[in-house]
Amino acid sequence: MTRVKALIGVICLSLLMAACAPVQPKREYVQRDDLKVDPEIRQSVQVQELLDKRVSLPNGGSLLRIQFSVQAYQDTDMEWAVTWFDEDGMVVPGVGEGYRPVRILRDQTRFFTATAPQEKAVSYQLHLREDRAP
Amino acid sequence: MTLNGTRSLMVAAVASLMLSACATHTRYVDPAADDGPVAMTLDYRDFERAADNAVQDLLSSGAVDNPSGERYIMAVSRITNDTMQRIDTDQLTKKIRVALLRSGKVVTTTAVGVDGAEDQMNQQARELRNNDEFDQSGVQQKGTLKAPDLSLSGKIIQRNHKVEDEQQVEYYFQLSLTDLKSGLAIWENETPIIKRGPNDTVAW
Repeated sequence: MTRVKALIGVICLSLLMAACAPVQPKREYVQRDDLKVDPEIRQSVQVQELLDKRVSLPNGGSLLRIQFSVQAYQDTDMEWAVTWFDEDGMVVPGVGEGYRPVRILRDQTRFFTATAPQEKAVSYQLHLREDRAP
Repeated sequence: MTLNGTRSLMVAAVASLMLSACATHTRYVDPAADDGPVAMTLDYRDFERAADNAVQDLLSSGAVDNPSGERYIMAVSRITNDTMQRIDTDQLTKKIRVALLRSGKVVTTTAVGVDGAEDQMNQQARELRNNDEFDQSGVQQKGTLKAPDLSLSGKIIQRNHKVEDEQQVEYYFQLSLTDLKSGLAIWENETPIIKRGPNDTVAW
């Protein structure tokens, strides 16, 4: 009888502890052609907005520029990179291929911008991944 | 072979196997997927970031957009290395030059430089003028070299600080683009790169 009581007590206690634990809401991730977020950081950051516009230049041309904001639900070290494409879908080479490391603190929202290296860039893909530096 | 001799041989073999297993091996690094540790010194990632930042800012500022539609001609002036490291500043300027050339807005002259022409063949090829040994139709004529419109200059600065039991190394990539007609700096940019690490690492 004592054993059954103890067992019930343990179960109740564990249920109570589980109820008190902070609930991590499942964040929705929508697959988009212009945005790729790796699964490792989907639960800790969320891309709030991803805007693009063409910046007019004095000679009449324009450059594609994007701005995106990322909100973190916990301190997160991540990296991001933008790949630019021309109207045929071919990659437009920039200065480098490396990712930019950033640290976003819990509840912080950070804004980032990137400008295409050439006028022929008409579309892009933004990639967010976890910081893999040892 | 004696028993002792066999044992010694086996111990040596095991030891050498263990040592070879611990040794790091040489491998290629893909810059697009480099997960390697960060050094306190300037590495290729820092130059890439500084150049990328500068090019994005320069192109979007419109400073290199010639209203006539033609490409501007740029000369690379002095980029001062004010760090404790031995740096070839071409690591920075070459990336900027390549990106600007690809953009179709700027072309760099190799005929003019602070310490003389970057490519001395510009001058030497002209010394063939009036040399009977050469077909003169292919020799460069007078007045064909293009003078630069713009000049790129800059400085890379390093500052070291002690922060509690760590050290902080600050690098500043400062760049200016001067309109040679007016002497005015029509574009300026600074990219800071800050690194913090253990005291036992060396930043030079």
